Amino acid sequence: MSAHFERPQPGAPTAVRFPPLSRDQLGNGLNVLVIRQSSVPMTTAILIVHAGTAHDPETLPGLASLTADLLDEGAGQLDAIALADALAQRGSHVAVEAGTDAIHLTLTSLSRELEPSLSIVADIVARPHMGTDALARVRELRLNRLRQFSRSPQSAADRAFAGVVFRGHPYGHGALGTTASLETLTLDDARRFWIRHGGPANATLVVAGDLAASEVIAITKRAFGSWSSEAKPTSPAPATLPPADARLFLVDRPGAPQSELRLGHLGPARRTGAYHALVTLNAILGGQFTSRINRNLREEKAITYGAQSSFDFRRAAGAFSVDASVQADATAMAVKEILRECERIREPGDVLAGELARGQASLTRGYVRNFETAAQLARAAAQLVIYGLPHDAFDTFVPSIEAIDGDALTRAAREHLQPDGTSIIVVGDAAQLRSSLEAVGREIVPTSPEF
Amino acid sequence: MIHVPFAKATLDNGLDVIVHEDHHAPLVAVSIWYHVGSKNERPGLTGLAHLFEHLMFEGSPHQPEGYFAPLQEAGGALNGSTSADRTNYWEVVPRDAARLALWMEADRLAFLPPALTEARFETQRGVVLNERRQNYENRPYGLAPFALMAALFPADHPYHWPTIGQPEDLMATTIDDVRGFFARYYHPSNASLAIAGDIGAAAAIRMAEELFGSIPAGPAVPAVEVAPLAAHGKRIVLEDRIEMPRLYLAWPSPALFDSGDAEMDLVGDLLANGRTSRLYARLIHDRRIATELAAAQSSRELGSTFQIVATAAPGHTLTEIEIAIREEISRFADDGPTDVEWQRGRAQAEAAFVSRLQTLGGFGGKADQLNAYNVYNDSPDGFEADLQRYLTATPRDLAGAAARWLDVDRSVALCVVPAGQPELALPDSTPASGVR
Repeated sequence: MSAHFERPQPGAPTAVRFPPLSRDQLGNGLNVLVIRQSSVPMTTAILIVHAGTAHDPETLPGLASLTADLLDEGAGQLDAIALADALAQRGSHVAVEAGTDAIHLTLTSLSRELEPSLSIVADIVARPHMGTDALARVRELRLNRLRQFSRSPQSAADRAFAGVVFRGHPYGHGALGTTASLETLTLDDARRFWIRHGGPANATLVVAGDLAASEVIAITKRAFGSWSSEAKPTSPAPATLPPADARLFLVDRPGAPQSELRLGHLGPARRTGAYHALVTLNAILGGQFTSRINRNLREEKAITYGAQSSFDFRRAAGAFSVDASVQADATAMAVKEILRECERIREPGDVLAGELARGQASLTRGYVRNFETAAQLARAAAQLVIYGLPHDAFDTFVPSIEAIDGDALTRAAREHLQPDGTSIIVVGDAAQLRSSLEAVGREIVPTSPEF
Repeated sequence: MIHVPFAKATLDNGLDVIVHEDHHAPLVAVSIWYHVGSKNERPGLTGLAHLFEHLMFEGSPHQPEGYFAPLQEAGGALNGSTSADRTNYWEVVPRDAARLALWMEADRLAFLPPALTEARFETQRGVVLNERRQNYENRPYGLAPFALMAALFPADHPYHWPTIGQPEDLMATTIDDVRGFFARYYHPSNASLAIAGDIGAAAAIRMAEELFGSIPAGPAVPAVEVAPLAAHGKRIVLEDRIEMPRLYLAWPSPALFDSGDAEMDLVGDLLANGRTSRLYARLIHDRRIATELAAAQSSRELGSTFQIVATAAPGHTLTEIEIAIREEISRFADDGPTDVEWQRGRAQAEAAFVSRLQTLGGFGGKADQLNAYNVYNDSPDGFEADLQRYLTATPRDLAGAAARWLDVDRSVALCVVPAGQPELALPDSTPASGVR
């Protein structure tokens, strides 16, 4: 073998074009988007209902998620188990999830089974039973899940973080709600939620697979054409947000060998003009394996298995956070290093041209990996709808990232990273950590997120 | 009919090169398997195969800053994983970076040792200890798999210890152990390379030949031999920072691709996976005595394990759950599945096989599966035969497998209970070992 085993350079990048989207609207107002992807005889269909946990009434956190969970507990002619069996007999699967801005029903099906499977999804949204028995069962399972989550350091940290950063805002509560709210939720609450939000005029169906758009639209019309509802389009969550709370919130987990960290603050909504600058910034700061925060905490200090930063862009607002589990005796150091990294990247000239170019290249050259499968394409199209993005948002991503220069990056960092306004959540052994955490220089608030 | 066409060439040094063309997306997936895992370790030095996997990303004299940066800048994703049986590494890259990904795999196979410095070794050992804390020690029920494996397999069986290793063993490992491990197991004749995606088969094989062809074949790796298991019933208890007691019932079961392996996979689905399963209907839907439920046939080369896991609902005991599971197993072993159940199992198996054809690479993608069939069955051409195991299993086969393998008196019953409440375990449970 040659002593000069030289690393080859990548060639010219392939331009990314999102496949054509066929659009239609049924007579009842249901929007339909179809994407053809023919590699495998499988189809992914996502029915998006534009109301999520952010639409929970203030006194009833957990309602959207409970309602979503009740949908497939019996619908049309089928009870809960018969419905699950009708899907399973076809090898099909439906997952119902409540996100902050939308409820999603995701069907994965062999394409030859799409029509019968999709008609079951139509039953689920148009003719859910929402019976008393189902409520009792689902409520009990959720109360138990909350108890389980209360012992998970990740869940405790996520719940505490959302509660502090979005306090008083509909993004501030956990999807499942709390034990107290679940105990008061009634079947009428769930039915009212669905009557108000769960209709074709407030929904979009995205279908990606190997079938022609005309065939998919014909199937969709047969399955969903008779779905009728009073539901009107839902408004996004309010844009009024709380001020920053830069204290350190300490959740006790006696004996924990690691501390679970969340550091962050509010961020912009998905449609911000700073989107591409922030995606680039995040790639350099903490979004990738080779980003600064992971290099520092994992590859230099070896105090974590991994540390990541992210901008969570939602419909009405967003959040920036850095997440890591760090060994207990390095907790204070990790907190200080994360804050230092967020501070440093705001300094003009801190990101040199080479680091910027490498971060951009990873995003632009790697973009095509997001569009390999029907499921990825369907989820991407769902983003267009949920956030109201321009139809060419994916085709303009690469040039928009390439256009970010050092000044634009610094401007975005100075505007959207606020080390001094960062809330700090630590889930760990309070007795062991408390004195070392004093050195962070923040007021320490013992806290216990409500489950 | 599931057909994944491929070309296969074996280089002079023994490296198998498998290429599957798929031009749907301008991507190329590279996967390389080394037929070594924690089963090749010995007590006292556990965790070495996985710690070594971390060091494989550290670079070579040609690439001293490690392999993540050049691959990420080319738009690639990359990762690796270690199991008891094998270690895999993969890259998914835009097609223009296919050669770069293959170069990286060849470069680290040929030139890794000079980059194995004491400092890098220390760093990755620290990272692995934190991986262990994050994924096992600080996670509710996280140590349960360790306790189960330690109880199912005797101390000298290579599945007795966890792949992540025991902390004191990791601390006792030296850089010389790491170098010796590389010399023994990391060479072309112990590897299988799969390339899938937007690339011509001939060009891909030529590229592999250019990059890997002159690496020496290396010594043959002897197969790991184990004595047959003498299964015996056991009840053990583990205390943890949790709210609700959970029961794990586990048995030794047929090895990967052995007779009964696919049957047990189907039995697990019909008994305890999803809302249509018998135990879901009984434990969760009707009687509400359990709140979480799952089953798994975890297939492995030297012998598999089958397990059913259920968490008790408040006010209910692990004894109630154990009795119900015993009854359902015994009913299934006596009567077998109904026609409806049998058809459902087949339909779900077929959909799962098709679903796994959606991604070229990464964990579980087509390149990974081609390597799995090649390494475990000596031919990449395993998709349809594998599916047929599921489609041809009769109701009588399923009942027979359950009867043969799920003897409740020979199960390991692990009770994970809230700290300080060992009385919530099944009666006569003894403290679990293997969970330091």
